[in-house]
Amino acid sequence: MFKFIKRIFIWWEVSTLGTQWHTFLHGEKVGSDDEGNLYYKGKKKAPLSAGMPERRWVVYNGDMDATRIPAEWHAWLHHTSDLPPSEAPLETKAFETPHETNKTGSKEAYFPAGSPMSGGKRASATGDYEAWRP
Amino acid sequence: MATLTIDGIEVTVEAGATVLQACEQAGAEIPRFCYHERLSIAGNCRMCLVELEKAPKPIASCAMPAGDGMVVHTKTETVKKAREGVMEFLLINHPLDCPICDQGGECDLQDQAVGYGRGLSRYDEGKRAVKDKNMGPLISTTMTRCIHCMRCVRFATEVAGADELGALGRGEGSEVTTYLEGSLNSEMSGNVIDLCPVGALTSKPYAFTARSWELKKTETIDVMDAVGSNIRVDSRGNQIMRILPRLNEGINEEWISDKTRFHYDGLLKNRLDTAFVKSSGKNAKLKPASWQDAFKAIKKAAKGVKADAYGALIGDLADVEAMFALKTLLGQLGSKSIECRLDGSTGQTSARSSYIFNTSIGGIEHADACLLVGCNPREEATLINSRLRKRVRVGGFAIANVGPKADLGYPVEELGNDFNHLAQVTVGTHKFAKALKAAKNPMVIIGQGALKGKNGAGVMASCLELAEKYGMVSEDWNGLNVLQHAASRVGALDMGLMAGGVDKVLGDKTEIVFLLGADDVDADKLKGKFVIYMGSHGDAGASLADVILPTAAYTEKQATYVNVEGRVQRTVQATFPPGEAREDWTVVRALADVFGVDVGFNNMGELRAKLYEAYPHFADEDVLDGHDTKGFATKTVMKMGKVTSIAAEFAGGYYMSNPIARSSNILAEVVANIAEQQGSKAHG
Ligand code: SF4
Ligand code: FES
Repeated sequence: MFKFIKRIFIWWEVSTLGTQWHTFLHGEKVGSDDEGNLYYKGKKKAPLSAGMPERRWVVYNGDMDATRIPAEWHAWLHHTSDLPPSEAPLETKAFETPHETNKTGSKEAYFPAGSPMSGGKRASATGDYEAWRP
Repeated sequence: MATLTIDGIEVTVEAGATVLQACEQAGAEIPRFCYHERLSIAGNCRMCLVELEKAPKPIASCAMPAGDGMVVHTKTETVKKAREGVMEFLLINHPLDCPICDQGGECDLQDQAVGYGRGLSRYDEGKRAVKDKNMGPLISTTMTRCIHCMRCVRFATEVAGADELGALGRGEGSEVTTYLEGSLNSEMSGNVIDLCPVGALTSKPYAFTARSWELKKTETIDVMDAVGSNIRVDSRGNQIMRILPRLNEGINEEWISDKTRFHYDGLLKNRLDTAFVKSSGKNAKLKPASWQDAFKAIKKAAKGVKADAYGALIGDLADVEAMFALKTLLGQLGSKSIECRLDGSTGQTSARSSYIFNTSIGGIEHADACLLVGCNPREEATLINSRLRKRVRVGGFAIANVGPKADLGYPVEELGNDFNHLAQVTVGTHKFAKALKAAKNPMVIIGQGALKGKNGAGVMASCLELAEKYGMVSEDWNGLNVLQHAASRVGALDMGLMAGGVDKVLGDKTEIVFLLGADDVDADKLKGKFVIYMGSHGDAGASLADVILPTAAYTEKQATYVNVEGRVQRTVQATFPPGEAREDWTVVRALADVFGVDVGFNNMGELRAKLYEAYPHFADEDVLDGHDTKGFATKTVMKMGKVTSIAAEFAGGYYMSNPIARSSNILAEVVANIAEQQGSKAHG
């Protein structure tokens, strides 16, 4: 019950009922990424005359975190590419690493060595000058 | 005299002034790139366009002489359009790399693009790219950024006296380059970094180390030579990032030498950051110690030592306060044996005018004949040399040299390397005597090289005779100059820190020797004596010491220095001394407690009050105390013989003349580069 009320009113844990309803009525599934996020586009090519592009959206599989969207889907969502990666997969180079979400604010966040957040002890200052020794 | 109307304001300017200067006088700001007060007028950037009534098109105000009755507008629509147009043209080939450019934040082009540019670019074509040039270890070049203002070229030929810099090609193909792809043969080359209005020429050692706006700026003075150039020290945290010149018309105008500009990394190297005490026994070695231990060792050594067994030597970088404190301390201990003339100079010191540069540096411009005696101003006082050069360029200036041949960057009549020639000029039989006789304001510059050793008094006497004979000293002119090369020297001589030479101070009687930053001391003469070294850098002097007391370098203390003209100037603290090091005078104050004597001051205020009481002129900052023309005479007869210049004796050469410079990697690189260039020249 609590979950249901949450689905009506809040949008940051899981997509709202409104979104689900809209997706059901107007959405056409385009594909999904490795994390299981689903991508949709509007069924009608509606008011294109007004200069509006096709509507594209994502329904997250779990956490609502925009950084979970990999680069190729991000490009499609933002109309940088016309075809979704499911139809026109992006060429990947040898040096590219798999997509990662933004770790800021999470447990895996990066802190430099010696930061109190990583529990480390700061190395003692080494001095910014060179001392003379006989 | 010409009277112009600028934006409705009437101004009267001197004859020969330009429209740009008139506009400035009327308070109208004119943007510019190529115009510079101290360089010739080029008129090739066109940024200074203004509207002149009755002229068919906008005029370049920097190149247009102000004429009577001109009506100039600087704020009209035409002027705005003209500036926008010029700016757009300049930006066509200027890369958009401000974020990675060291000039960012202090760039004329950046500022003026914001102030006078269009804000948008319409340019769609490819930009020009220019190969970077090699200008040695000090200047980093990104020639694509060059806007061809030619300031650097004019500086090199007009002020620095190095003709290697010039422009090749024309139109879009023109490039500023050193013809032979080598560093500039000048110790003033660093100034092109300040002159370049864009980031084409930047400092190589400073490259990518800091942004101009994050630096703390401290206005202080330089101690690399006795000129006392006014400088600005830019520091971040406890590190000095760069040194820039500060305007002082009387001394350095707005230039500084490369040694002044680039010695700063030496301030963080070889530093004495703790006290040292030499262990006893056979393999005696200096070991780091606490201040207490150091003082204990001194106390032990001083037990039973007689009053006249104390001696002190003053190094080249010592400040007035430290010297005064040490003098007071020695006085309280009962000794007068304190000596500053480590180079063995024996010139006259009876009157102030007998050891300072009486003409004053600015005064050189009024001289019309000059005789150099045993000095190489290029190496002993670079900024004085550039003043002389400036005077030579104006013309009507006869200059001759008695002493070793030297390339000063301008033509000098070489009279020969023997005091004989000086005597001939003095008697009047030499042909240069004519030039001196004809001159209205003749001057003579006597280097420490000529005043060294036994002959010093004689040379001084001969020069005095020369001065009298050719009317060098009169009511409103004093042409008798002694060129000091050590920053501490004039101040020390003002306080009379002389005890008959180094040898006398280090005589058999002496048991305890204080070295106040004195490094050029003969190790043999210190044998068997207890040596207390006070200084900032571990150099020759420190390795000879029994106890080392670490003190502050000149950027780390508030101190007084007197320059070669007798001008009192003060340094301002920019950073803190490293580790356990303390300001020099506080160390002396602490020593007073160790010896159980009272020096009569506990803080800087009391010290300075005592100092001013004893020597009132130290209170007057930045004044020249007139031309003191009387008060000394000497009758010693000069012996003939070879003349030397002190520059030839700098251990390691010009760039290595003091412990800070010797610690600097940048200057070491310069020296290596010079050696390399000379080597490649020799091999053709
Ligand atoms: S390098 Fe700098 S100073 Fe020299 S011409 Fe180019 S912009 Fe001017
Ligand atoms: S400042 Fe006048 S043309 Fe450059």
